[in-house]
Amino acid sequence: MARLLDKRLLIITGKGGTGKSTVSAAAALVSAREGRRTLVCEVNAKDRVTQLLGLPPAGPELTSLAENLWAVNIRPDDAMREYALMTLRLESIYKAVFENRFVRYFLRFVPSLQELVMLGKVLYHLQQKLPDGSDRFDTIVLDAPATGHAISFLSVPRVLAQTVPPGAMLREAERMRALLEDAATTAAILVSLPEEMPVTETIELGAGLREREIQPQAAVLNSFTAPRFGESDLAALAARKRLLLVAREHRRLSELSRQSRETLERGLKLPVLTVARRYERRFAREAVEEIASELEPGLKAGR
Amino acid sequence: MSGSARPSRTGEAAAGNPLSEALRRNDVLVCVGEGGVGKTTIAATIALRAAVEGRRSMVCTIDPARRLANSLGLSELGNAESRIPAEHLRAAGLPADAPIYAMMLDTKRTWDEFVERYAPADKREQILASRFYQSLSTALAGSQEYIAMEKLWQLHSRKDYQLIVLDTPPTSHALDFLDAPNRVLDFLDNDAARWLLRPALVAGRWGLQLFSFGGSYMAKTLAKLTGTDTLRELAEFMLAISGMNESFRERASQVRELLAADRTSFVLVSSPRIEGIEEVAQFQRVLQQNHMSIAAVVLNRVQPPPLPSDWAEAAREEGPLRAKLEATLEERRRAAERDAEAIAAIRSVCAPTPLIEVPALPTDVHDLISLWRTGRFLFGEERLEAAQW
Repeated sequence: MARLLDKRLLIITGKGGTGKSTVSAAAALVSAREGRRTLVCEVNAKDRVTQLLGLPPAGPELTSLAENLWAVNIRPDDAMREYALMTLRLESIYKAVFENRFVRYFLRFVPSLQELVMLGKVLYHLQQKLPDGSDRFDTIVLDAPATGHAISFLSVPRVLAQTVPPGAMLREAERMRALLEDAATTAAILVSLPEEMPVTETIELGAGLREREIQPQAAVLNSFTAPRFGESDLAALAARKRLLLVAREHRRLSELSRQSRETLERGLKLPVLTVARRYERRFAREAVEEIASELEPGLKAGR
Repeated sequence: MSGSARPSRTGEAAAGNPLSEALRRNDVLVCVGEGGVGKTTIAATIALRAAVEGRRSMVCTIDPARRLANSLGLSELGNAESRIPAEHLRAAGLPADAPIYAMMLDTKRTWDEFVERYAPADKREQILASRFYQSLSTALAGSQEYIAMEKLWQLHSRKDYQLIVLDTPPTSHALDFLDAPNRVLDFLDNDAARWLLRPALVAGRWGLQLFSFGGSYMAKTLAKLTGTDTLRELAEFMLAISGMNESFRERASQVRELLAADRTSFVLVSSPRIEGIEEVAQFQRVLQQNHMSIAAVVLNRVQPPPLPSDWAEAAREEGPLRAKLEATLEERRRAAERDAEAIAAIRSVCAPTPLIEVPALPTDVHDLISLWRTGRFLFGEERLEAAQW
């Protein structure tokens, strides 16, 4: 019975605005709390995860956030440079070649190369070793791009493996594809909201990833409203027009939350973890800690 | 149907509602903003309003998600432009003859059409068969922006529509979209690229010519990364499409002109979240640099606060019911306060661009009725307070 937390790579994805970064930060906290060396990776984003944890931006270098917890923000230019340096070994060669105006344009014109090197960096950290031969990170949490782009981003190795002729790029693409498509190593977690369209899109995203052999293994339903007003409450409020609306609106939200959970469970055939809707003015670290506690049982449950 | 003179909560007069004016004055409106803020809904709302006012309008989405189809009650959208059926409009209580059209950009098909139209006849097959073309024109990130501008331009140049409302992919990609014409031109104007292409054009084939560029050293180093064959194949592909360079160049500059034209404007859609402030500032800056204009910043799904009388009424209840009501009102109060704070901050970076607040409606906006209702707020005919659940 493998637990989600035992996967080496957790890909957190979903429609924009569903709270992917929050869920990424919370999942990373749960993992680090358990004593697993955890790296949270953002891809070409604005350091949202470190911001949520109340910490300064991680930037392109590995940054230690807390015990067992590191962050890195991967940007295309830095990733390209690192990849090139790793392959070429010499800074001077890199400069001569990659700072050439034409070469820069050339690399930019191959759109998939940027995705490949960014994803390559994520997977490089996945395979990094400590001097004693153990993995440098037990778990990597990837805060992946939003819906449509997640599929194109994550399927770059697959598409390249089918298009490029034999060579270094093909080997790299195939290596990455093998890691992403291994369900024992990698799990995608789909973040959704209790609204009709996001739920539909989450189910489509799940199907899209499965088609590309990347296995979603759980969904997170964010902004969940638990039931509060019963039938008798509504009956008692029958004469109070405004308050009846207040109660009905709450009922509508909790109903929508319940339905969304059921629809996701049915449509994805996956466990759905819930995170309660929140009302604080500023989203601070305590909020992320609380969300981590909400997600913890689900992340630790065996499947 | 036009905006009335009622003031909005924040004192902007609806008479001069910036969007009512924009949809009459412009022939292209581009909706930009982060994913999940309801950009597609706003785009569809604007097109619907323009159509009901009698303007032939088209809403075009390049977002791969199928939101628009749902919003407009269409089961299938494709590169085909489809008119919203009269019975849908009638069922929503709207004029059945409102000329509203919708489409979802099919990236692959639009690329194919572009190649078929502009590639030299003897190169067409080679391009379409190239593995690089296959990946460029299908799944791979970055190609949407290149081809979306082509589609926008095509739609606009046909003059079939009086208003085209374009929906765009999420933030970083929306900026990519703005940058796309420049990127294409940059690439094609690059001296080194031309220098590289010329000897090969003369030789009629690539082979070693490519690798003699800048001394074989540079190409060899590059090839270590990509593999020699990849580099050669890519070069061959680029040579094949080089016949289309003039078309690309011409089109890219036409698109740039179109986006900066007097009758083109942007609508930035955001959520009333403090995190949105940076995005608003960033977009304003980029649009300004590119001499493009913003019609309005739309803050979508703003939560209105409870009224004082709600609290008084709740206090008259007893026991658990009172506690439940007060907990709910408190949540609503906090949510409204959070939004108001964010809106004030965004307003300060947004001026002089008008800011429009659209309330969170008690239903998911996905049909024509709720699109129309959204429009009542968007165009300043209803105030935020009126949206009380």
